[in-house]
Parts: sequence; structure tokens; C-alpha cells
Amino acid sequence: MQPPEIDLTKLDAIIDRHKTGKWQLIPLLQDVQETFGYVPPETIEPIAQALNLFPSQVQGVVTFYSGFSLKPKGKYVCRVCRGTACHVKGSRSILRLMKQELGLEEGETSPDYQFTLETVACLGACFLAPTMMINRDYFGKLSPTKMTSVLGEYRKKGSE
Amino acid sequence: MEKLSSIGQLEWFRNKILSRRQEGIIEVHVCMTGCRAYGAAGVLEALNDEVKSQGLSKQVEVRATGCHGFCAKAPVVAIEPMGVQYQEVEPDDAGEIVVKTLKENQLIDRLAYHTPKTFQPVFYRNQIPFYAKQERRVLANCGRIDPTNIEHYIAAGGYQALIKALSKMAPEQVIDEVQAAKLRGRGGAGFPTGLKWKFARQSEGRPKYVVCNADEGDPGAFMDRAILEGDPHAVVEGMLLGAYAMGSEYGFIYVREEYPIAIEHLNIAIAQANELGLLGENILGSGFNFDLSLRLGAGAFVCGEETALMASIEGQRGMPRARPPFPAQAGIDGKPTNINNVETWANVPLIVKKGAGWYGEVGTADSRGTKIFSLAGKVNNTGLVEVPIGTTVKEVIYDIGGGIPKGRQFKAVQMGGPAGGCVPAQFLNLSIDYDTVQRIGAIMGSGGMVVMDENNCMVEIARFFLSFTQSESCGKCAPCRLGTTQLLEILTRITLGEGRMEDIDTIRELGNTLTEASLCGLGQACPKPALSTLKYFLKEYEDHIKEHRCAGAVCDSMVISACQHACPAGIDVPNYVAAVADGEYERSVDIIRERNPFPAVCGRICIHPCEYKCRRGELDQPVAIRALKRVASDWYFKNIGPQRDPFPVIRKQKIAVVGAGPAGLTCAYFLAKMGYQTTVFEAQPVAGGMLGIAVPEFRLPRQVIEEEIQYIENCGVEIRYNSPIDAKHTFNDLLNEGYSAVFIAAGAQASKRIGIPGEDENLEGLYYGLDFLSKVRMGQQVPLNGKTVVIGGGNVAVDVARTALRSGAQDVQIFCLEPRDEMPAWEKDVEEAIEEGIVINPEASPSDITQEGGRITGIEFTHCVCVFDDEGCFNPTCDLEDTRVVEADNIIISIGQAADMSFLSADSQLERALWGALVVNTNTLATNVPGVFAGGDFTTGPTFVIRAISSGRRAAIAINKYLTGDDSPVYIPDEKSVRHTATKLALAEETTEDQPRIEVEFEDAKERVCDFREVEKGFTEQEACREATRCLRCDLEKEENGI
Repeated sequence: MQPPEIDLTKLDAIIDRHKTGKWQLIPLLQDVQETFGYVPPETIEPIAQALNLFPSQVQGVVTFYSGFSLKPKGKYVCRVCRGTACHVKGSRSILRLMKQELGLEEGETSPDYQFTLETVACLGACFLAPTMMINRDYFGKLSPTKMTSVLGEYRKKGSE
Repeated sequence: MEKLSSIGQLEWFRNKILSRRQEGIIEVHVCMTGCRAYGAAGVLEALNDEVKSQGLSKQVEVRATGCHGFCAKAPVVAIEPMGVQYQEVEPDDAGEIVVKTLKENQLIDRLAYHTPKTFQPVFYRNQIPFYAKQERRVLANCGRIDPTNIEHYIAAGGYQALIKALSKMAPEQVIDEVQAAKLRGRGGAGFPTGLKWKFARQSEGRPKYVVCNADEGDPGAFMDRAILEGDPHAVVEGMLLGAYAMGSEYGFIYVREEYPIAIEHLNIAIAQANELGLLGENILGSGFNFDLSLRLGAGAFVCGEETALMASIEGQRGMPRARPPFPAQAGIDGKPTNINNVETWANVPLIVKKGAGWYGEVGTADSRGTKIFSLAGKVNNTGLVEVPIGTTVKEVIYDIGGGIPKGRQFKAVQMGGPAGGCVPAQFLNLSIDYDTVQRIGAIMGSGGMVVMDENNCMVEIARFFLSFTQSESCGKCAPCRLGTTQLLEILTRITLGEGRMEDIDTIRELGNTLTEASLCGLGQACPKPALSTLKYFLKEYEDHIKEHRCAGAVCDSMVISACQHACPAGIDVPNYVAAVADGEYERSVDIIRERNPFPAVCGRICIHPCEYKCRRGELDQPVAIRALKRVASDWYFKNIGPQRDPFPVIRKQKIAVVGAGPAGLTCAYFLAKMGYQTTVFEAQPVAGGMLGIAVPEFRLPRQVIEEEIQYIENCGVEIRYNSPIDAKHTFNDLLNEGYSAVFIAAGAQASKRIGIPGEDENLEGLYYGLDFLSKVRMGQQVPLNGKTVVIGGGNVAVDVARTALRSGAQDVQIFCLEPRDEMPAWEKDVEEAIEEGIVINPEASPSDITQEGGRITGIEFTHCVCVFDDEGCFNPTCDLEDTRVVEADNIIISIGQAADMSFLSADSQLERALWGALVVNTNTLATNVPGVFAGGDFTTGPTFVIRAISSGRRAAIAINKYLTGDDSPVYIPDEKSVRHTATKLALAEETTEDQPRIEVEFEDAKERVCDFREVEKGFTEQEACREATRCLRCDLEKEENGI
């Protein structure tokens, strides 16, 4: 399936917001990531030009931070926490199950662009280990059954 | 809100807010930060709706607040001014809370905290043990105020510190106050904050920047998150004070993007502060300007390092640089910059407002104040804990944290995240401060404490941390970039069973290189988890490499199923459990006997390490493996009995075993099975060793032992009774008599003496535990009337006490050094003893035995304050002022056993260690004399019967290798039994019903003390079948996945 279409004219508005002000590259990129769901490679040159930087510098920043992606992500980004507390409480099997259920490896997006599976170092919800985040929502004290039901809900949401 | 242009206006504003507060209003505080992950939003909405529909909107305010700290019980709801705290609240509970508690002042039992042992409800927050030892200073507002409303912060006394500084203090005075308070950086390094501020103030460049490091990246740490989400103005005010003190006009809060709620609340807080004129130009008319803005992280752990953080603010790749120059001299844009952690900033308003004197009232000499820890992992009360610096590890984990769930053993607590180390059990009494923790190889760090229990593998934990730091390494400097990759590769290999002994030294070498040569803190500190686990858990590494054993039964490559791996003898547990489920008891016993010739004995007294690792135990309770073993073996002996044909003798060598205890007989059994002729020399007239001497009849009937021994004799093992090996008949003689090898398994049967005044063996009424038990077992009369004191806290002491009760003593009391919950005795036995009427007196150290005319009259005890010292060594400290004298007619001393070496003549060539114990090769159990092996309690000291059994089997394998000229090491991996039953058991049926563990029944406590009947009744066949089907067949998992 084709990734969802993006409206590159939105980029101009984003650039305008960050053109003035000091050290705006990362906030600008964060804005782009938020708006398009990723940093489309074709935006790198216009951004570089607007901020008076070399495209390689912009590329360098995009590839350094794991928060930026040069590839489109799914509608629902599932981040399984691989922090210490979650690990100690069995997050490995949760991750294994997620991989099985979604048929994805870490960092991959499903062909229908519904789900992306990622791991994150620590969500800061350690008291609810093992945890997982889907977009902005947290799910804690995960067990295999709970995980399957949460995924089921999102699958339903996605098809609506 | 209108902009305030003077201090006076702020005070006016504060007064108006306070006056608007109505008397008698009830506040319901619902945590909407962390608890949101567990449905708090629904609870908030439901409560709001319910209050409205009950018409209570004028009397009740339902407020969304920050974190209450008791995150394990999310969602948490607190009600003020009553001081009630409810937990695990669901939206459906809203109605009952509003009507019963708010309207009718009634408390709801099921929503309250219940104490773990007694299940008593505790309704008031300040009585909940979790809060009792905490000192919530920095977190005082969290959970009380609405963080999205600046008026709440102001009403609670916020911005008073700012007023004080702007109106009464010069900038230097603010710095002096912070220095006097001895505040040290809470981000991990612990650098004195006041000093850092001074450097920044003294620097020349302009403009100056102040930065808040809110990139809390340590896995396991969530303290900063709670402050940012629950009380963001504390940070804002702190930064205002810092900026004023250092002469800065610009501030950044660098917060990680993975904290969306924190970002939201910070944005609101900054906007509101700007609106009121508390940020911006000419703050409160003082001429002081301060502009504060947010910068979001983009998912790089290394940006928590200050130079990388500054690079990130400047829009560059987050790579650290060398220091000097330090940020205070040249930071962002080359200008003086002061960076502090969130918690450090949050401490500042308290210091300025209440003074350094107040601040220093808690803490240690060098580190004043409180520290917030995030308690997570295998601990009951996970959450946020704020305690004075200097609190001990034990207090945090046990008193506040509520200990380890499911009765498991504490193993270590990881402190300081990937830059920190593991603090093992021996340091439980360590008081936590920057310096003490560093001395033992960990760091206090940012405050993350992840607790681990016996089911975690320390090697795997080290590998886990390395995989994290390796992926987060920025790559700039070679030591870190290459070092982390190499360390990770080595640790991964070890967990996969491909480790080599040289790896251990390599890890140390690499670790040292990384520490000395890395550019930034990430590289310098990342070897710490590996190095500290290597230091305190070296045996685990060695076991992984040499024996492919994983103590936590975690490393998949070595473990078929956790239960089998946990068993020292490696019995194929799932298979024999499955056989029990099918009613095939003979097959079940056959499977057990492949590793253990004492199924009936173990079915009664084994310590069952398997059950502690049982994965079913993660779901509800572990499968009752031991009881199932008993059912199978009881059936076997009832229907088949001990008869069997002997094993054929196919070898010409014959072997002598010294001692017919579990270790010796097991060795003999397996040697016979391999075709050797074996003779066991036993000094006593009966066999069984400790089984027959020390374990009381009511736990292990004599008949059971005899049947098992008969079975072993029927296998072809010859036991010669009344045949001691001593000066008259030495093991050298045995070798000369034609035995090709000797296994010494003489056990540990010498009773330890305490060594106190009055301890005279000849005193009437004074006995030693093992001696006493042995006499009773032999049927000798021991006159025990009156008060009997038993000294000791271990299993033997408890057995002694229960035996004494059944031997005529009317009143038996146990006195032990340890506190009640640290008694080494098996908890199950202690509880049975208490049921029978035995009184336990913990924390008592015997100091003097009194007598009159050669007969005991009493004994003096001093209060034992602590059994182990700071280093974890046995070193009891007593309060000599706190003594009591107890009247007694009999005293039985049962403080431990040791191996009795006296039967070995003093000049025998057997090599001994400095302290007299025998030196044996841990792999082959060989002594320095060729052909002579030793094992069981005799070499290890008293231990559990299953360990002695596994030692016996190891010796048999080693002896066989020795006699066949095979000098490869003894390797005993887990193996599946050939008789494999494919029953799927629990997985075979889809059931949503609860299937809790079936509990064994016991004889009535009052009746059973009258005689020596067996106390535990055991399962019926029906119960056994039902219990066995609870097994999850973890051993089939790999087969299904084609591994």
C-alpha cells in the first residue's frame, strides 16, 4: 500500500513559525514530525535553506535522534518499554508477543500503515511495569491477555 | 489574570485566593499524572458527575492533581481534610465514595490499603506504612494542588521564596544560603550546587543561561516526571531564584519528548507565570528580567549529559565535548551556563523560604536534605518515595516498599540506572548517601531503584544495561563506541551459553578502559553494571560459563523449564507432573528416580526451589510440585513397594562410600546403576544420616526413610552398619583393600557451641539440638518437664522445639538473634510451630546461663539490634543495657552444625583449607588424594537434602569418569526424560475460571502435639490430578517454536 499522502504546502507554514529565533532546527523538525508523522526526505533541503544550514547538517541531526524518522509511520505507533523495571518484570515476552501479533520486527511499519512497532528506553511509568504506549496513551501492568485485548481495540478503531 | 507589577500586588493576589477558599469544603484529589495510565481519567469524570448529581457541587471540589506516590495502587484518590486515601479506584466506585464517604462520613473497606500479613484496612494516609517513614518535602504539593492552576501553587505558599529573595536578599546571599544548605546535585553526580552557582556568577560572559535538565532518561527513574507533572512551578520558581542569584536572564527547560503530560503542564505553568508577570521583564517591579522557554528532547539518552544537552539546545547533534571549559565558564553559545537537575531546582525555593538551618535538619553530614527515589521492579509498593538522605536500603525496600512479592528472596537492587551498580543483599543495612553508595561500586544516581529477586539473572541484567548504553552511545569517542559493542557481544555470548573463562578478565579490562578513556559520563559509567555484578555475583558468571547454569533460570539457551533448572538435581519436573495428572504414578516415580533416589523423602521435606521459579506462580500460585511428588511416591510404595531386581554389575571396580546419608546413598545408587559394585560404610546401626537423626518423626516418618533405603539396597548397594571409618579403619585402608575410589559423605553433625559463660555441657537440663533430636529418634527418654528454652532460629531449632513439645515439655519458647521476619527457618515450619503453641522471641542474644547445684535455673538475654554488619558479615551487635533474665528448666542450644572432622586422623594427607574444612574441586568433588572424593553436607556445611542428593550424583558421575580415564569436566545440563508425556495440561483447555492452588491439609494443631503423627496430610488422588493440570508445560514451549 502507498503511504498516506502528505501536503507539502504545510511545510511553508512550519518554516515560517521557526524562521526567526535562535537554534530552531530541532523544534522545527519536531513540528514537521508531528504534522506529517515523519520527516519526509524532500523537506530537508528547504529546511536547510530557510535556516541557513547545509543539508548535510540537517540530515545529521535527523539521523542522530531516534525521535525523527525518515520513513512514514503507521497510524498507531506502539512503543513497548524496554526499561529496567519493565525488563525485570517480563517485558521481553510482551515484546515477543507484540511481534507475533503484529507480524512486525522492531522499527517496522505494517504494509497498511496502521501500526508501527518500536521499543523505547523508558517511559517513566515504571511502577506499572511492564508498560506500552500507543500514540499518547499508556497501558500498564501488561499481561498477554491484556495486550491482545488492547491491540484488538485499536484494530477495531483503525478499521472504522 | 492581570499582570502583577509589584510584590505587594502578589501578596494581595495571594490573600484574595486564600479568602475565596471556603471553610469546610471537602477536596477530592485524583491523581491525573501517572495514574492516568490506569484509568484515572474515567475516575475523575465519574466523581465529577456523581458530585453534581448528588447536588454537592458547593461542598465538594473534585481536583485533578499530581502524583500521590503510591503508584502501585493506581488509581489513587485522596480526600482532605479527612486524610483518607483510597486506592485502585474504578469509575464505578464513584457513587459509593460520594454517598458513603463524602455525605455520610463512612469509610469503604475494599478501597482501603490492607496490611499484608493481617489484612487490616488502613484508611488514613499518614498511617499507611508506605508513607510513615517518608519525609515529603519536595513532593509536598504533589497530589494536593492542581498543577495546571498557578493559583493553587500560590495559595500553598508558592513564590514566597522569590519575594523574599527579591526584597530582602542580594544575589550573593541567595548563593550563600544554597551553599550553607549543602544541597548536592540530584541528577546523579552530586556536585555541590551552591559552588556551581558561584562559578557561574563569577564568570564574565553575557548573557548567562540557566538550564533545567529534565531529560530523565535513566530507565527505571520517574521522579522528575512526577515533579514536572505535579508541581511544575516549583521548578519555575527554583530557576527564577537561580537566575537572580547568578545574574542570568534566559532559561531553558530541556524536557524529553517521551513525557507528553510533563510538556503540557510545563507549557501551562510558563504561560500562566508569564501572564501574571512572574516571568518576563521587570518581574514584580524589581528590575529583574527572566525569560523561560521549553526545549524538547528528540529521543537521545546521551542528551542527559550536560554538554550534549547544550549542543542539542543549539540544534546540533547531541554529542558531548571535552571539559574544561565547564558550562559555568563557557556553555551554550560559549556563554556561562548553569545546568541543574529538576529535583535540584525544586529544592531551591524550600531552602530560600525556610532557610538552610531548617533544610539541614535531615540528611547526613555531607549530604543534607531529602532525596526522591523511584522504587520499581520486584517490590510490593512501587512508586515514589522521598526520604531523608541516610535512610538505609532495607528501610526503603522493606519498611516503605513492603518487601518482595510472593515470598521470594531479595537478590539485589540496581541503583543509578545504566551508570550505576547492583547493591546485593549483604548491604541491606547500608545508609544511602552519595559517598557510601559509591564506595561499594554503585551510585545513588538520579534515584532510580529497581529491585530484583531470586528469579532475575545478574548476567542478563548486565547484558541488558549494555544493550541500552550501546544503542545510546553517540559514537564520537572510540572507547565508548567500540567498548560498548565489545562488552555487549561478550555478555550476550555468556547468556547464550557460549562464554569462555577468559571473558571475565576481558570484561574487567574493557571496563577499566572505558572508565578511564571515555569522553563523557555515559562511556565512563556504563561498565558499572557489568563490573558490579561481576564483583558481587562472580559465581553466577562462572556458572553460566562452566556449567551452563543460570541462577535465575532466565537465560533461554540453558533452561528448558525454570522448575527443572532450579532443581539442584535437575529433575524433569514437567514430565513427572504430567504423569501424575494422567494417574501414572509409577512412571512419575521412574522419571524422578533418574535424578533422585529419594522421591518419598523429598516429597515431604524438600525446600522445593522449583516452586519458587514456577511460571504458574506469576499467574496465581505455583504448582504444588512437592506435594505431587509425595502422592506419586506414596502410591508407589503402597502398591509396588521397595522390591526390585538389583542392577547388573558390569564393571570390575568396586567403590566405597563413607556415610549412608542422602549424599552417600545417592552416590551409591547411581554408581550401582552404572554397573559398579558399591559398599556403604555407616557408623550408626541405621542408615539415613540427618534424615533419621535430625528430621523429626512428625515431618518424616521413619518408615518412609526405611522403605527408600530398602529400595536402594535392593538395587545392589551393600550397606555395612556399625562400620565407622576412623583411626582404626581409615580411608587409606579402604583403598588398600581394593576399593578403586572412595566417596566421603560423612555429613555435618557436630553441634556448634555458643561460647557464653555458664555453658557447661555437664549441666543438667542443658542439651544440644542434634544430640537431643537423635536421642528422641532412637527412642531414648529425655526428661523435659517445665520450661524449655530453645536457642536458635534455623530449621533444626524449630524442629527441636516441636519435638520438645511432644516429649513432655509443657512450655517451649524459641529465642533467636534475628527479627521475626528474618529467621532463617522455613516460614512454613515456623507457622506450624506457632500454631502448636510455641512462642517465638526474636532479637534475643544469649549472654549468660545461670545454674544452681549443677542444674539450670535460667538464662540471660540481651537485645540483639543487628545480626549482620555494614559489609554483610555475621557480626551481631547487642544493646548491652537491654537485658532480661528468663527462668528455665531446660535449655536446648541449636545454633548450627558443622562437619565433624575428628574421624579423619590428623596427619592424613587430605588437604584442608585454613579453617579446617576439606578442600574439594567444585566440579568433580575430588580431593587432592587421587581416588578420594568428598561431598554433601560434609564439604558444604549443613544444607538442604536435595543439594546433598545432587552432590551424590555428581560424585558418581565424577568417579565413573575417573575410573574410565575420562578427564573432561563433569557437565550436568538439564535433560528431558525419555519417557515423555505430551499432555498439554493447563494449556489444553481454555478456561476463564480461576484455578487457585490446592492447599494440603494438616492435622489439627491441638491434637497433633500429643504424639508424633505426621503433621501434613498430603493430597488425595483427585486433588493431585486437579493440581497437576495447573502446570503450564513451559518445557514444551521451545518444542512448539521449533527450537
